[in-house]
This record gives sequence, structure tokens and C-alpha cells, in this order.
Amino acid sequence: MSKLGVFDVSVRYGKVPALTDVTLHLEEGERVFISGPNGAGKSSLLGAISGAVATSHGRIEMDGDLLTGRSPEAIARLGLSMVPEGREIFGSLSVDENLRVGTGLRRDRNAVEGDIAEIYDAFPILGERRNASAGALSGGQQQMLAIGRALMTNPKLMMVDEPSLGLAPKIVDQVYDTLVQLQEDRGLTLLIVEQSSTRAARVGGRMILLRSGSVVGDGNAADFAETDLLSEAYFGKSNQEVAQ
Amino acid sequence: MSSAVQLFFDAASLGGIYAMAALGIALIFGVMNLVNFAHGEYIAFCVFALIVPSTEAVAVMFLGKAPAILLIPILLAIGGAAAVASEYVVFRHMRKATPVAMMISSFALGFIIQNALLAVYGGRPKAISLWPDLNTPIALAGAQLPLLQLIVILTTLVVVCALALLLKKTRLGLEMRAAAENFTMARLLGVRANVVITGAFALSGALAAAVALIMATQTGVADVRMGGQIMLVAFIATVIGGLGSLPGAVAAGFLIGAASILLQGFLPLEVRPFRDAFLYTLVIICLLARPQGLFVPSSAKPRI
Ligand SMILES: Nc1ncnc2c1ncn2[C@@H]1O[C@H](COP(=O)(O)OP(=O)(O)O)[C@@H](O)[C@H]1O
Ligand SMILES: [Mg+2]
Repeated sequence: MSKLGVFDVSVRYGKVPALTDVTLHLEEGERVFISGPNGAGKSSLLGAISGAVATSHGRIEMDGDLLTGRSPEAIARLGLSMVPEGREIFGSLSVDENLRVGTGLRRDRNAVEGDIAEIYDAFPILGERRNASAGALSGGQQQMLAIGRALMTNPKLMMVDEPSLGLAPKIVDQVYDTLVQLQEDRGLTLLIVEQSSTRAARVGGRMILLRSGSVVGDGNAADFAETDLLSEAYFGKSNQEVAQ
Repeated sequence: MSSAVQLFFDAASLGGIYAMAALGIALIFGVMNLVNFAHGEYIAFCVFALIVPSTEAVAVMFLGKAPAILLIPILLAIGGAAAVASEYVVFRHMRKATPVAMMISSFALGFIIQNALLAVYGGRPKAISLWPDLNTPIALAGAQLPLLQLIVILTTLVVVCALALLLKKTRLGLEMRAAAENFTMARLLGVRANVVITGAFALSGALAAAVALIMATQTGVADVRMGGQIMLVAFIATVIGGLGSLPGAVAAGFLIGAASILLQGFLPLEVRPFRDAFLYTLVIICLLARPQGLFVPSSAKPRI
């Protein structure tokens, strides 16, 4: 049984299809990148898995539990956590409060304080600014906070949507170092949306390529960096066709 | 001097009632973008819950006979339950509806409650006597004040502080603030939409009950139309304060109370009957000057 199974899932907004019959699987502890051009349906896929976006067809399972049809809060309770595109931190709440929003679903309430201390260890700047309003943090700090906040639900599977969006390359390096480290420490399964295949190749893992709502490639991220499949995904035709 | 003290207490006690009513509306708007026009009818409903159901002109106290220590918590619970029930029956089924559709439904719900009260209690206003001793004047700083005014002001302060503490210090409060800013994100972190929304309605209904107790004591009348009047002022207060802002709702409630007492006190006698026209002119000026409200809410994102 795989960690996450997506079977023939379709998503549409009104009449506009965003995903068509997408099937994919993640194994326990795996790191998988979803790549593809803007509008390919990457965020819609994460939305469908997390329950924030309704599916029109297909089914999604995590650890054998059916996710399809469940509310986002019920899915979060099954151990799925999300760092959304644009981070979506609660700007009017303090840094500390942001970290605590997701702890309501936990049974091990007395472990919460220790986990918050761990987050502050991993991201000292968040600890320094724990009582500051989260809206006042820089983009990079907000990304760290969004990751820390997602971790506070104690997830088994974490999804991160475009963590590099709007961040300086040096900060992106830090974010990925942190994600990789966290995965090693906690045995997390990670599903990351990343537009840059070179970045994905450098971090390492499996990569699934989406185009126009369909899976058009699935393999080792390193092998993807310069292949025809990628340019096909981005430009709609293979290099051979262009050459002819 | 004494009349200045008098004016101050009049303004503060009227403002306190408006502030509490406005808070009830702002709380629900904050979590689900719903302007709940049935809120005034929760207030009327709670007032009528004090008396025996009958269409007779003279009201016979029912719940109103209970000692305050029982009456107050029971009525707060009744208000909370009425609001929660209306969410369960009506608004729960409209979570994906537009704010306008929800608002229209709240109008409809308000009319249904009002007509139900009409059917059971009749249309004539009834004299009721709840805690009449509280209206006896006491001397304070050279002015004659009904004890009730002091109690209203104290109650408002206690209610506002208790609500602020609840929002700041409790798990439910944290979840409500997070949901008010970004409902979908809160749910993705495991915050249960139903818990937050039920909590907001329960608090809102309890606030309506508090307003009902004060109005019943102060006016000595139970009237099925009373909800509409207070609802209008409270709604204006939430808009002036900035829809969704709780401090804004409180401040604007006090502001409107103060403005209306000052106009009452200082307008020339011959135009005094038209006080409300002046009051609403001030409202329009406020909205022209700051259309987003005196206190801008930190976010105005769509909920759910
Ligand atoms: N809320 C929405 N309403 C309507 N169309 C949407 C919505 N969200 C996304 N879309 C459309 O669905 C398609 C996929 O979008 P998205 O999943 O955000 O892609 P990606 O994350 O890969 O850029 C796009 O064509 C986009 O315009
Ligand atoms: Mg996207």
C-alpha cells in the first residue's frame, strides 16, 4: 500500500478542467516534486488532495483511508499538512500563535511546547520574533513560519506548494536545506511543487511532470533537467518537432 | 456640572448597549462574512422569553420571575441556543452561498422569528417589570443616575473584556481569529469549521441576550418591533467600525450612543424631534470620510 494514492482524479472550476484523470502514487518517506508550467494544475492537485478543492472524478487515498469527500480539517487529522502557495500565514496573529493554530488536532498535547521549542531551534529568527505579528516578517521568514506551522500538526505527509516563490536564491537554498533535514529527522513523506527542474534535480528526488492537467512524465528529477519531456511540458511540442 | 455627568452616563450606557449589539453582529461577520440581520430578533426573542406566552396586554413574568443568579445564565444560554439553532437550520446549508444570498436569508429568518413572536404574543407592546428597583435613581458626582446605567456600563466593560480574553487566551479564540483571517487555511490546519462557527453564533446569541436583559429593564416594554430598531443602529456601528473589526464595532457603538445623546441634549428644541436625521447625517459623513471603517480589519478575504 502506498503512502498516497491518487486514482483518475479530475478537477474542474465550472466548465474549465484543471486536472484530467490524474493518477500518481507516493511511497512512505519519498520526496516527490511536481513540476510543470503555470496553469498546469499543480496547485489544484494539492488542493484536491488536501480537501480544499472538490474533485469531479476519481479517488484519493492516504494509508488506505479514503480522502475524497472529506473536509480539509478531517484530512488534516489523518496526518496531512500543507504549506500553501503564497504561504498564507495569519498576518494578524503573532508568530507563536501561528504555530499553535494547527495543534488543536493533536492528542499528545503535552508534546506541543517541546515541538514549538524545536521549531525555534531550527529557525532562531522565529524564536526571536515569537511575539511579533506574523504579517511583519519578511518573505523568507514567512516561508519558514508556514513550514513550522505545518509541522506543528505532526504530519506524516507534508505538501509544499512553490516554496521558492518570490524568494532570493540564497533563501531558497536555506528553505530546501531545512526541508531535507526535516524529512531525514522525522521520516516525513514530502510532496513539493517546484517549477524549476534544475532546483529539483539539485535537491534530488522523484519528479512528476504536469501539463494542461495531465501527467506527462514521472521519473528521477536528475534525469529530467534537460530532457525533451520537460521542454514538451513547457512548450507543447518536443524538440524533434521543433527541429523539423 | 451635574448635567455633564448625567450626559456622560447617558452616552456611555446607551453606547454600551449599541456596542454589545454591534459586537454580536461583527463576531459572525468575522468568521463567515455574514451580516446576520436576524440578530435583532434574537434580542426580541430573549425579551419575550421572560414572559408567559399569551396575547394578553398585560405581561405575566415567567422566566423573569427567577432570581437574577439563575435568570441571567439561563437567558444567556437561551440566546446562545437560539442563534446556534438558526445556524444549524439555515446558515449551515448556505456555506458556499454568496454573502448577499446569506444576508437575504438572514432577513427572511428575522421576519420568521418576528412573525412567530407576533403569533404567540400578539402585536401590542406589553409592559413588563424586570428588576424595577434598578431604575431608582442614586446620587453620584452631583447627578441623579439610575443604578441601571452604572450596571449597563459595568456590564459592557465586563463583556468586552471577557470577550477579548476569550479571543486572546483560549483555544477557541485562537481558532476563531485564525478562521476570521483565512478560513480555508485554518481548516487545512485541522481547525473544525463547525466548531468555530457554532462558537461564534453561541457568543453572538449570548450577547443578544445580554442586550435583551438591559433593554427589558430599561424600557419596561416587550415589543415585537424592538429588534429591528436596535439591529439597524448596531449594523451601522459595525459598518462605521469596519465590518469584521471587533474593536471597531465596540468603538463605533459607543460613538453612536454618544452622538445620539449629545444631539438630544444640545440640538435646539424645535429640531430635536428630528434628531435621527442629524444622527444619520453624521453616519453618512463618517462613511464618506472613511468608507473602509474607522478601524480597518486586517483582512477582508472571502471565508470558506
Ligand atoms: N479558483 C479557480 N477558479 C477558476 N479557475 C481556476 C481556479 N484556480 C485555478 N484555476 C484554473 O485552473 C488551472 C490550473 O490552475 P492551478 O492548479 O493553480 O495551476 P498551477 O498551480 O500549476 O499554476 C488554470 O487554468 C487556472 O486558471
Ligand atoms: Mg500554483
